Amino acid sequence: MKKIIEVKNLTKEYKKLKAIDHLSFEVKEGEILGLLGPNGSGKTTTINCLLSLLKFQEGTIKIFGKDMHPNSYELKRKIGVVFQEIAVFEELTVYENIDYFCGLYISDKETRKKYIEDAIQLVGLENYKKFYPKQLSGGLLRRLNIACGIAHKPKLIFLDEPTVAVDPQSRNNILEGIKRLRDSGATIVYTTHYMEEVEILCDRIIILDKGKILAQGTSTELKELANIDEKITVEVEKISEKVIDKIKRFPTIHEVNLNMNTLIVTYKKGQDNLGKLIDCLKDNKVVYSKIFSERPTLNDVFLSLTGKELRD
Amino acid sequence: MTVFKTFWKVVKKYKGTIILYTTLLIIFGGLNMSANNQSTQFVDSKPDILIINHDQNHKLSNHLVKYIKKHSNLVKIKQNEEAISDALFYRDVNFIIDIPKNYSQDIMNGENPTIHIQSTGDYQASLAQMLLMRYIRVQNIYKTKTHDEEELIQKINHSMDKKATVELTSKLDISKTSNVSTYFSFASYSIMAVVIFVICLVMSSFKERKLHKRTIISSMNYKTYNRQLLLASFLYTCIVWLLFILLGMFLFQDVLFTTRGILYMLNSFVFSFCCLTIALFISTVVSNKNAVNGIVNVIALGSAFLCGAFVPAEWLPNSVLNIAHILPAYWYIHSNDLLKKVEILDFNNLKPIFINCLVMIGFSIIFIIINNIISKHKQKFN
Repeated sequence: MKKIIEVKNLTKEYKKLKAIDHLSFEVKEGEILGLLGPNGSGKTTTINCLLSLLKFQEGTIKIFGKDMHPNSYELKRKIGVVFQEIAVFEELTVYENIDYFCGLYISDKETRKKYIEDAIQLVGLENYKKFYPKQLSGGLLRRLNIACGIAHKPKLIFLDEPTVAVDPQSRNNILEGIKRLRDSGATIVYTTHYMEEVEILCDRIIILDKGKILAQGTSTELKELANIDEKITVEVEKISEKVIDKIKRFPTIHEVNLNMNTLIVTYKKGQDNLGKLIDCLKDNKVVYSKIFSERPTLNDVFLSLTGKELRD
Repeated sequence: MTVFKTFWKVVKKYKGTIILYTTLLIIFGGLNMSANNQSTQFVDSKPDILIINHDQNHKLSNHLVKYIKKHSNLVKIKQNEEAISDALFYRDVNFIIDIPKNYSQDIMNGENPTIHIQSTGDYQASLAQMLLMRYIRVQNIYKTKTHDEEELIQKINHSMDKKATVELTSKLDISKTSNVSTYFSFASYSIMAVVIFVICLVMSSFKERKLHKRTIISSMNYKTYNRQLLLASFLYTCIVWLLFILLGMFLFQDVLFTTRGILYMLNSFVFSFCCLTIALFISTVVSNKNAVNGIVNVIALGSAFLCGAFVPAEWLPNSVLNIAHILPAYWYIHSNDLLKKVEILDFNNLKPIFINCLVMIGFSIIFIIINNIISKHKQKFN
């Protein structure tokens, strides 16, 4: 598959702070790459460098095989960006806003008209064409923000946390829209700190922290890095050290942690672990109110790699 | 031309502001004009004069009375001191001429008898004094040439009846030009407010950090983007200027379709252009829309008060006018005041107006240079 983005050894420093530390990665045609990391991990800075909005100290960036510069207007024609902040004209209607931003790329009126309609349909704003931004809810505004960024049908799309502070209905709508963009052939770089979204959407994920790549791969590949296969959470009334020691002696056990009244037991392999744990708790007369089993999440991966939660 | 077209869509949202300031111009400009009505019609004015003649039976003194009577209203009042004082106090009479006894004889003998006068001191009294002095001057010239009273009277009549033809070289109707000047001076406030306010708001929308970022990453050349914005701003300024000119043409068609009118228009165009450069400068410095409103009010109202748009400049103290020199509106209003008074439109008379225009262009150049420096600095900083 063709490489759409090639980043080698990218370094960006703000005075003494290294925002990006020798970052190298590639994005292939038609894939959705997720950049996952906590706030301040360097996701937005990376995108700003890719778009030549920021100068960087070291490294090379190639987009569509060409070096990216502030004056690379031909390359910019193929790129669409949806920033985290909503950037629309308060004085223009939904339609006029999309028309303006699409017009920065497409000069032909008829083509633009068709593209605007497509974008409106993609984000589901058909009934709000004549509305002013002030009249839209937060979710609808986000959808407008996306429509403004992708109306010119770019081949490469950067989506920087497009679902921040969005209601569930709008979030689903936005995620569905992104899938449709991928299906239409667009390559997408998606940054977020919502791991659920990354798992649903992304073909490949890069986990960033402090400007460095901690891990990259598919969701399954990354979860293997965490070295756990199952996680059981139990809310107990009281549990003795003796019982915890018994649990720790289970053959597939990875780790047992007691945090207040929450017992978290992780297993290297998932084989009838829940049944055995319930039996053990019963035998030792441990009273529990809630017990559930789940597959490890990317947060667990992040936790095992950094020792801290993704949302910290 | 997406940016150009969108500029107008955003301007449309501020049409209320344009209508508001145009209405203000019509209302206050109209009020000023009605208060400013000056007449250039000359009506013969006759002072009220009381003549106390103690030399009644002589031809010369009677001739003097006849002459005075011809050019004034002779008033009859009791000839006692109290009645005369009251008449002067209540302005029943403007001037009192007391011809002494033996006046005619003394004149014929070559003496200079004293005529006592009393006056209210107003312009009517001055007019009466002029009449008397004129007669006495002519009489004194001829009294040495003859000893015959009849002949002297004839010579006086001959001299007094001579008429000189006076031709008015200037046909300037100050009342009309004064109204036009008032209109254009008041328009300085409206032009400033409408141009600066709207351009600043529109520009702050386009240059809002988030929107600006979207423009930078687009495939539109940044120079093209800037050029479209500048072209639209310039065109907007021209339209505002034209709107006020058309309004002026409607109100003062007889003045504006003359060379003087063209000069008024030229002066206001240069001023409008200067306002555009101020607007672009403010929009570079200030990006907050809420702040724009306050800044525009301070600049437009401040200029209008300090430079004489609301109150005539001649009423303002020198200290205020000295400060006003640093504002473009001062030079614009000064030119309007000059255009009101200047009679012959030649290079020498118009030179100060052209200099004022050059000063306004100078202001514009300074604003453009500062604007460019700040823009480049901001770009570098970003």
